[in-house]
Amino acid sequence: MNVLLPLPIVLPILAGALCVLVGRSRTAQRVIGLTTLGALVPIALVILVRVDRDGIAVVQAGDWPAPIGITLVADRLSAIMLLTASIVLLAVLVYAIGQPGAERNHVGFQSVYMILAAGVSSAFLTGDLFNLFVAVEMTLTASYVLITLGGRLDQVRSGMTYVVISLVASVLFLIGLAFTYAATGTVNMADLAGRIADLPSGVQSALAGLLLVVFGIKAALFPLAFWLPDSYPTAPSAVTAIFAGLLTKVGVYAIIRTQTLLFPPDSRPATLILVVAAATMVVGVLGAIAQEDVKRIFSFYIVSQIGYIIMGLGLFTIAGLAAAVYAIVHHIVVKTALFLVGGLVEHAGGSSRLSRLGNMVATAPVVAVLYMLPALSLAGIPPFSGFVAKFALFDATARAGDWWLLGIAIAVSLLTLFSLAKVWIAVFWSPRRIAPRVASSAGAAVNQAALARSSLPALMVVPTALLGLLTLAIGVGAGPLYDLSQRAATDLMFPDLYIEAVLHR
Amino acid sequence: MIVILALHLVVGITVLALAGPLAARHWPLFALAGVPALATVVWLAAALPTIIDGGVRTSTTQWIPQLGLDFDLRLDGFAALMLVLVAGVGVLVVAYAARYFTHPTTRNGRLLGLLVLFGGAMTGLVLADNLLVLYGFWELTSVTSFLLIGNDHEEPEARAAALHALLVTGAGALAMLGGFIVLGRAAGTYSLSAILQDPPSGTAVTVALVLILLGAFTKSAQMPFHSWLPGAMVAPTPVSTYLHSATMVKAGVYLIARLAPVYATVDMWRPVVVTVGVVTMVGGGLRALRQHDLKLLLAYGTISQLGFMVAVFGWGTAASETAGCVMLLAHGAFKAAAFMVVGIVDHQYGTRDVRRVPRPGPGWGPAMIVAVIASASMAGVPLLFGFIAKEADFAAFVDQGAGAALALAGMVLGSVLTAAYSLRFVAGIAGRLAAPAPKPTEARQRPGHGPPTWSFVLPAAVLACASVAFGVVPRLLDGVVGAAADSLDAAVGDVHLALWHGFTVELALSAFALAGGVLLFLGRRPVGAVLALGGHLPSASRAYLRTLRGLNTVADRTTKVTQPGSLPLYLGVILLTAAVVPGILLLGGDWWPGWPHVVEVPVHVPIAAMLIVLALAASIVRRRFSGALFLGMVGYSMAGLFIIQGAPDLALTQVAIETLSTVLFVLVLRRLPDRFETAPGAARRTVRVLIATTVGAFVFLFTIAVGSIDPPTTVSDTMIEQAYPQGDGRNVVNVILVDIRGLDTLGEITVLAAAAVGTVALARAGRRPGAPAATGVRRERQPPPMPVARLVTIDVSVRIVFAAVMVGSVWLLFAGHNQPGGGFVGGIVAGAAVSLRYVAGGLPEVRRLSRGKPWLVLGSGVAISAATAIMPLLMGGAVLQTGAHTFDLPVLGEMKVTSALVFDIGVYLAVIGLALMVFESFGDDTRTLVAPEGPGPSIEQSPAAVGQEGFA
Amino acid sequence: MSVLMAFTAAVLFGIGTYLLLQRKLSRLIIGLGLIGHGANIVFVTATRRGRPPLIGSGDPSAFADPLPQSLVLTAIVISFGTTALLLALAYRSWLLTADDEVSDDIDDRMVGRDSPDAEVNDAARDASGEPLSDAASEMPTDLPLDVAPGSGEVAP
Repeated sequence: MNVLLPLPIVLPILAGALCVLVGRSRTAQRVIGLTTLGALVPIALVILVRVDRDGIAVVQAGDWPAPIGITLVADRLSAIMLLTASIVLLAVLVYAIGQPGAERNHVGFQSVYMILAAGVSSAFLTGDLFNLFVAVEMTLTASYVLITLGGRLDQVRSGMTYVVISLVASVLFLIGLAFTYAATGTVNMADLAGRIADLPSGVQSALAGLLLVVFGIKAALFPLAFWLPDSYPTAPSAVTAIFAGLLTKVGVYAIIRTQTLLFPPDSRPATLILVVAAATMVVGVLGAIAQEDVKRIFSFYIVSQIGYIIMGLGLFTIAGLAAAVYAIVHHIVVKTALFLVGGLVEHAGGSSRLSRLGNMVATAPVVAVLYMLPALSLAGIPPFSGFVAKFALFDATARAGDWWLLGIAIAVSLLTLFSLAKVWIAVFWSPRRIAPRVASSAGAAVNQAALARSSLPALMVVPTALLGLLTLAIGVGAGPLYDLSQRAATDLMFPDLYIEAVLHR
Repeated sequence: MIVILALHLVVGITVLALAGPLAARHWPLFALAGVPALATVVWLAAALPTIIDGGVRTSTTQWIPQLGLDFDLRLDGFAALMLVLVAGVGVLVVAYAARYFTHPTTRNGRLLGLLVLFGGAMTGLVLADNLLVLYGFWELTSVTSFLLIGNDHEEPEARAAALHALLVTGAGALAMLGGFIVLGRAAGTYSLSAILQDPPSGTAVTVALVLILLGAFTKSAQMPFHSWLPGAMVAPTPVSTYLHSATMVKAGVYLIARLAPVYATVDMWRPVVVTVGVVTMVGGGLRALRQHDLKLLLAYGTISQLGFMVAVFGWGTAASETAGCVMLLAHGAFKAAAFMVVGIVDHQYGTRDVRRVPRPGPGWGPAMIVAVIASASMAGVPLLFGFIAKEADFAAFVDQGAGAALALAGMVLGSVLTAAYSLRFVAGIAGRLAAPAPKPTEARQRPGHGPPTWSFVLPAAVLACASVAFGVVPRLLDGVVGAAADSLDAAVGDVHLALWHGFTVELALSAFALAGGVLLFLGRRPVGAVLALGGHLPSASRAYLRTLRGLNTVADRTTKVTQPGSLPLYLGVILLTAAVVPGILLLGGDWWPGWPHVVEVPVHVPIAAMLIVLALAASIVRRRFSGALFLGMVGYSMAGLFIIQGAPDLALTQVAIETLSTVLFVLVLRRLPDRFETAPGAARRTVRVLIATTVGAFVFLFTIAVGSIDPPTTVSDTMIEQAYPQGDGRNVVNVILVDIRGLDTLGEITVLAAAAVGTVALARAGRRPGAPAATGVRRERQPPPMPVARLVTIDVSVRIVFAAVMVGSVWLLFAGHNQPGGGFVGGIVAGAAVSLRYVAGGLPEVRRLSRGKPWLVLGSGVAISAATAIMPLLMGGAVLQTGAHTFDLPVLGEMKVTSALVFDIGVYLAVIGLALMVFESFGDDTRTLVAPEGPGPSIEQSPAAVGQEGFA
Repeated sequence: MSVLMAFTAAVLFGIGTYLLLQRKLSRLIIGLGLIGHGANIVFVTATRRGRPPLIGSGDPSAFADPLPQSLVLTAIVISFGTTALLLALAYRSWLLTADDEVSDDIDDRMVGRDSPDAEVNDAARDASGEPLSDAASEMPTDLPLDVAPGSGEVAP
């Protein structure tokens, strides 16, 4: 473990540096990128297996014992997130290489993508609140670059929104850290868990609230989610896919980690979280219904799905957390797949606007099938993972007896079904209502490429298909995964193990 | 059983896949499609004996046991009965479809594949013994039906109908899921058979039942949820026959039948279910009478009959369950046959409108006979299957009390209507209702309008024969029906179906129904006039549309509010939330520590004053420049504060960074308009001030709250103790940076690297060396870049200063471990030196410096640090663990070279790289700047541009 | 920690917030800078003040708390990197629009104007005979600069 645990962080950083060094040679960059991420998947797998077998793994960076140095911790949740993330990262990289457009040829893409990977991994692995800040900054800065890569006007505009809001979030995180340190004198999370409990109740819950808001911005909770639907769609679809899959999840992970580990049950804003969750899912799905652009619709799905996940957390029961953990995995996979399909639609249809698309079941049946997989999963149709996630969450809510929440959740899933069906009808069935021209959202380059050659690049299709099948697989084979999620949830509910593992108490 | 399901799945997918290639030769395709249904029939036949003896077959596969979600299948009598319908009609439909699609296309092939998949889902639905598995297959039937209805996707009606069906049944299904969850919670299991064994009760269960019934009603097109079914008739006839008359719409009936014996006694059950059923029966019948389209007539007929079945099963007595089972079979037989004939007529004549259908020519005999038999059975004419069923139904309600009598009255009325529309159907299909002056030409012109081939009629004929056979010798079914009813309700003993029960009430009622029907039909003109009034009744489909529109409007309105698209608004909300939520939580609990001392040290006062004043200045000035400069000064005052607090490293870094970023700021700003044009209006300014004050107040309170807690400083004390012994450094801060918290630093320089790449990419994007004046317009709008010379007086001595500063930066780097300084400070100071050099000499100067190619500097910096982090791993240490070696250096004297130092060198290089790259990207006026016209080209150009210029 | 410094931090935050509520990127950057300084003030003043933590320069117990110093240093450098990126954005925005205004999101403004409910209209066609509205065809393909008239205002 001493060797394994740091690798997901350090290897991508090294790879990123190398990608910068090799400069203009795309081939070299791709080789570096693919090998690194390719190596990450087995590493993450081993970590998960070991952690699940031998319990929480801890590495003290620089051999400085906690809480002095920075501690890397992998419990089941971290390991699960790490594995899912590495799979998705690899798949999307392949897709991006296959996709015509600027980012593929952009000399900066690979290196920044690697930095994104490093940031995500270290966010999942770190056991230190300030290091979490740094990790989030890595992820975000990389995302700023990726989202503005190419520098088109719409990218710049939405990029401004995205960057400014994220920076505000970061500053809020910083002041939160300042408060935390001033009050406790430590930034090691395990250590904090002990010290926060001694603080005056008001300060405790205020810190909990502040951290919730900070990560809520990154996780796109209502009313902090504005930035997401405005910024994501303008990026190239591969980039949007990885954002959709991972970035918001980093926020969600941070919320789950901090709320369960740092704060004693009575200072957690549980009810607040539940209300926010409900609002988030409703607003998100309504937004999706109101949109006219495939990528924007999908972006709003992210918001509403985040609501589901947070609902699982807000219950603060093992059932709820287990459902949430499973839902996160499902969501990472399915959402990435959905956006990759969105990219294919754009590629084959030359636009991402519903009014400019149509009849693709005839013109591009492959894309239709590829859409079906994640769409059915998202709609919660058995035996896809979406159904398991949905049912697990409903069941947990019912156990907790929050019937109102259950009602809202069910209504939202109906609206989701409606919206998905609308997209299907508009994109694949109804004849085009407007001849396609250069779409106003990111389609431009893709569009031209599409006109150039209408065939679908295998490198784009294969990862999409694999992710689509993955949702099916983790749905059909949900038993073991859900078992794992339950064990992870138990770890979260009883953080003492974590604290002991880190501080060797 | 799983094998059967798997077979459906595999075959279905294969057919879908082969639809394209095999479309031309479609016999093999249809043969293949027939396999699963046939297999089911065979399997069923094999299992039937045991089933009839009251046995069951079960299979269990674990799925997610923790959630009580197991893949349980159970074949009992009732399931078998349903399967007879599903598989039997399935086979016939495939055979029928083979003739219906005379000109096979890829699309027909797909439709066929979907039909097979649907068959699988339906089979699973009736076999499922776990409520959630049942829900799963339920949803799958909805999805397949959606795809099947919309198969002719060019027709807007088809698309709309598909959506309509999906939404209505989907909504019901989700309500049902909620009901299942509640029921399952109450029962402690999701196993259907277990729940029926000892049913839970209580208000929760009642609620659950209502929700479940919603699902059943929507699926079985009960009023007021029926409107999707007529719409679904746009689907090709094989689909309508299979899904929308014989099988799928019976799913709701199936569920009610399962639950009724147990829950019929629950207070609300009978009133609700039976009322809905009867109302639907009558309403459907009335509407059926008004239809001109034969298919719609049958559709409303189906609705009416479904209502009938719901009422019968819903009554939940042994007799009624038995009767219901008979009804299921009878309806399946005659309705499917009728649909098939309509399909034939439609196919041959190209119309289904009773006003157009011409009188059948020679060769139509068989088809017409089938039609007559089917509708006669539908009307309940003796010697036919329908009669047996209707008798049994009536019998179940005779002498059962007032409620039953009322229901019975309704059913008889319904039957009268049934008889009437059955007659109308026969007359219509036989062309007897054709308008006085039909347009035969139209029909004649259609190619191949001639009589249907025998093979086309055969499937329907088979069903007709069944209707006759079971009508004459109902005994044949005793076993099947008996087993079915028995599996529903143990109270059912042996069942003996008979044609003649003597002169009974139900016989009289049947006779009355028939007679009434005939009268209604004969008097159809006046009756029609009366019925026309029905058109003014509120229509469910219009309600559906209104709902949908309403939904869209709500969505639009909400989204306009929640997603206004304006950054200031977003930030306002976010900052307010960030202040208010924790603020309330803070004040909610105990927090007030009492006032700390007002001023800690006197020297704080001037610093604080400066900070505040400068910040204010920075915010109110109207010139971008002044703003930037004031911000810089705030930064310098911060450095002062750091000195006071005892943080020289911070102070150094702050100064260097402030210098660097101010220069950058100026570099960018000199392009932008000098002044901010607009002055904010008073109202908005107040809003802003309010938000700002709230945030400020929150920060103040929270700072006070935490500031006066002084926690144990064990962590930092240990750091101070261990810095030298462990970290080989006297400057604790630097030891923390490069050793104790080296991981932070590593992350931080990657941030810098990313930022550098992004900066260059943005500054370079869309640049083409020596591009044409593509952007003449824009260029006029640009303020002319302010000549650098005016920013700072050029001085030759800059060079010397530069050299000095560089040396200093290196010194800082190496000394940093023991005195204030370190990689960051060194690097940034060097960067500042570069900026100085730039300011003096412009880009060429920077170019001269960056012969070392900035991106190489940056990359190697990050690489070195990362490598230093990994190295210990290879030597079995922990990541970032430091080793040390002592050197004797001329200038700096004896010094320890630690791996931390190497790490720090990486940091140093990375920072310099950043500075160089940033200056290169902002600092040049030499090249023509091209704003890309339209999104397209810039993208295409940027790779090249960045490729050659960004890094090289 | 003293009331004075807490107040100073609060003021910086307030002013920063005020600046953040407008559209000019340059002002947003200034605002962010001020808020960042505010956070750093809290960091260094809410913790132990003292002599520079240099081993051998005196009694360690009188040292200032070194940890927050290193944290703040990291934070400062990071924010420098991101500021550079923001400036690059402003620069790019100037290249494209000759301004650094953050305009409103076009698609958000189009919500409801286009026809998200086209299918419903399809369905409604025979019922209410209303034609397909399709404002989407008038959707500008490139983003006009006049979407948000150059006001640095909180949008109503």
